[in-house]
Amino acid sequence: MKQKKKRGYSIIYLLLIIFCLVIILPLVIVFSSSLRHVANQSSPLLLFSELSLESYRKAFQNMNYPLAFLNSLMTTTGSVAVVVIIASMAAYPIARIKTKLARFLYFFFIAGLVVPSQMAIIPIAQMFGRLHIPNTRFTPMIMFITCSLPFSVFLFTGFMKSVPIEVEEAAFLDGAGLPTRFFKIVFPLLKPAVTSVIITQGLWIWNDYFYPMVFISKRALYSLPVCMVQFLGDKENPAQWNVLFAACVLCALPLVLMFMILQKQFVNGIAAGAVKG
Amino acid sequence: MNKKKSLVFSKKVYAFLIPALVLFLTFWIVPIIQLFYYSITNFNGTNYNYSFVGLKNYIRVFQDGSLINACQNTIIYTALIVVFSNLLGLGIAMLLNTEIRAKGIFRTCAYMPALFSAIVVGFIWSYVYMPGNGMLATLLSFCGIDGNKVNVLAGFQSSLYGIAVVDIWKNFGTTMIIYLAGLQTVDTSLLEAGKIDGCTEWQLFRLVKLPLISATVTINVILNVIAGLKAFDYSFIMTNGGPGKATETLMFVIYQMAFVEQKMGRASAFSVVSFILIITVTVLMLIYMNKKEVEL
Repeated sequence: MKQKKKRGYSIIYLLLIIFCLVIILPLVIVFSSSLRHVANQSSPLLLFSELSLESYRKAFQNMNYPLAFLNSLMTTTGSVAVVVIIASMAAYPIARIKTKLARFLYFFFIAGLVVPSQMAIIPIAQMFGRLHIPNTRFTPMIMFITCSLPFSVFLFTGFMKSVPIEVEEAAFLDGAGLPTRFFKIVFPLLKPAVTSVIITQGLWIWNDYFYPMVFISKRALYSLPVCMVQFLGDKENPAQWNVLFAACVLCALPLVLMFMILQKQFVNGIAAGAVKG
Repeated sequence: MNKKKSLVFSKKVYAFLIPALVLFLTFWIVPIIQLFYYSITNFNGTNYNYSFVGLKNYIRVFQDGSLINACQNTIIYTALIVVFSNLLGLGIAMLLNTEIRAKGIFRTCAYMPALFSAIVVGFIWSYVYMPGNGMLATLLSFCGIDGNKVNVLAGFQSSLYGIAVVDIWKNFGTTMIIYLAGLQTVDTSLLEAGKIDGCTEWQLFRLVKLPLISATVTINVILNVIAGLKAFDYSFIMTNGGPGKATETLMFVIYQMAFVEQKMGRASAFSVVSFILIITVTVLMLIYMNKKEVEL
């Protein structure tokens, strides 16, 4: 019996190892090629045969990395912070009041989930024009926030329903008004939902290239993914591949590091987001 | 709570909705409504001296074949993503939910691609599929097959499957993490009871675990369906819709019409049709999955 179980486990290990190798093989090759000289095109399977930072130096300059990184960082943190606050606020009446109107609003927000950004982009851009919103590095933030609302409201509503109403009734008797009750009592109890919103929405906002590509025309305002879009032309030029790979690594690096440090929060945040629904 | 007016929650609580609602209405709902309006004009996106053309845009959209083609592509793409992300995700989650060591490493490997921006993933896979020096070609040459002849993205038949693989590679990790969380909620005493009653592993899975995680299955299928219907990234980055129209998805056609051909009216008509399609598919899916969930 024990023998059989042991064999079962070694099969599981074998399957997992093979599978994971297949999954990360492209990443390993890209990483190893990024460490080569710009024109070194010898077989990519000779992993880590050359360790030069030449490609990185070029990619770093082409992307204007520090500035792009800063742009990405500012827009992402800013958007996520606003989303957490206004989405949790919006979820408060939806979760607490049991009228038809509240139910309608709930589905109204969720319906926004299925609409793709490409579909309404021109009317959206016109709306920006009509409201005279200037094209700054912060302009895409408005769309990041708007597009994050459906999922975040949905998530916060789910979590808020599990906060017992009695806590608030007690506070009400003590004379606390709605804002005090929300910010001092309910909001602090939503920590798991806040983590989940930060992780899931932060991830797509950081990685999104579509809105910045549409709204930003000045190079100095580009975020990391839009800098990558500028390399699209280089795809046909094999001499630039190693630089392109270095740029890919540079672009992905911040999130990979974040994931390494906050692995537990990532995993719980993603799962909580889906399971609570 | 009963029908009585709540003392604790006065009507003032609706004020909390205002910021979110204002943003959502101005930048999401109103533009979508405007689409319906533009769809009966010959607006080109910049010149405001447009005129009404009635249903002409709709007729053009239905006649020129790009709609049917894009629908087909999107549906095949979505089906591939839903089936394979879920099978792989559930499979790996089941393997990881046993008492093995180094779970964290395996989980990290499987989830890693989900951290990357679609644009980075697009570049990586353009390289993987590149004929000649690309990864796939090199690997095939290594095995003695002429790698230069294999060009996944240039084949009319293979290109759509090629980009679907990319999407699955990127996103199955998320599906897996959600399944893993679902599987961890399964009560082990139920599994033990099943074992004592002499269930085989398959029976345990089919009759105990699967019904218990049916809600997780639903959410994963729905998330993947939504992601599939929105497909745009890899057609845009890797194939530019080509070869021919082989990888044109609904969203890619809309983008192309609006930004490249500058035919905003027709793009709007196309958007309205895809909007109705997407909503219908999602709602039908939800109803079907909810029914299934009860049956399981």
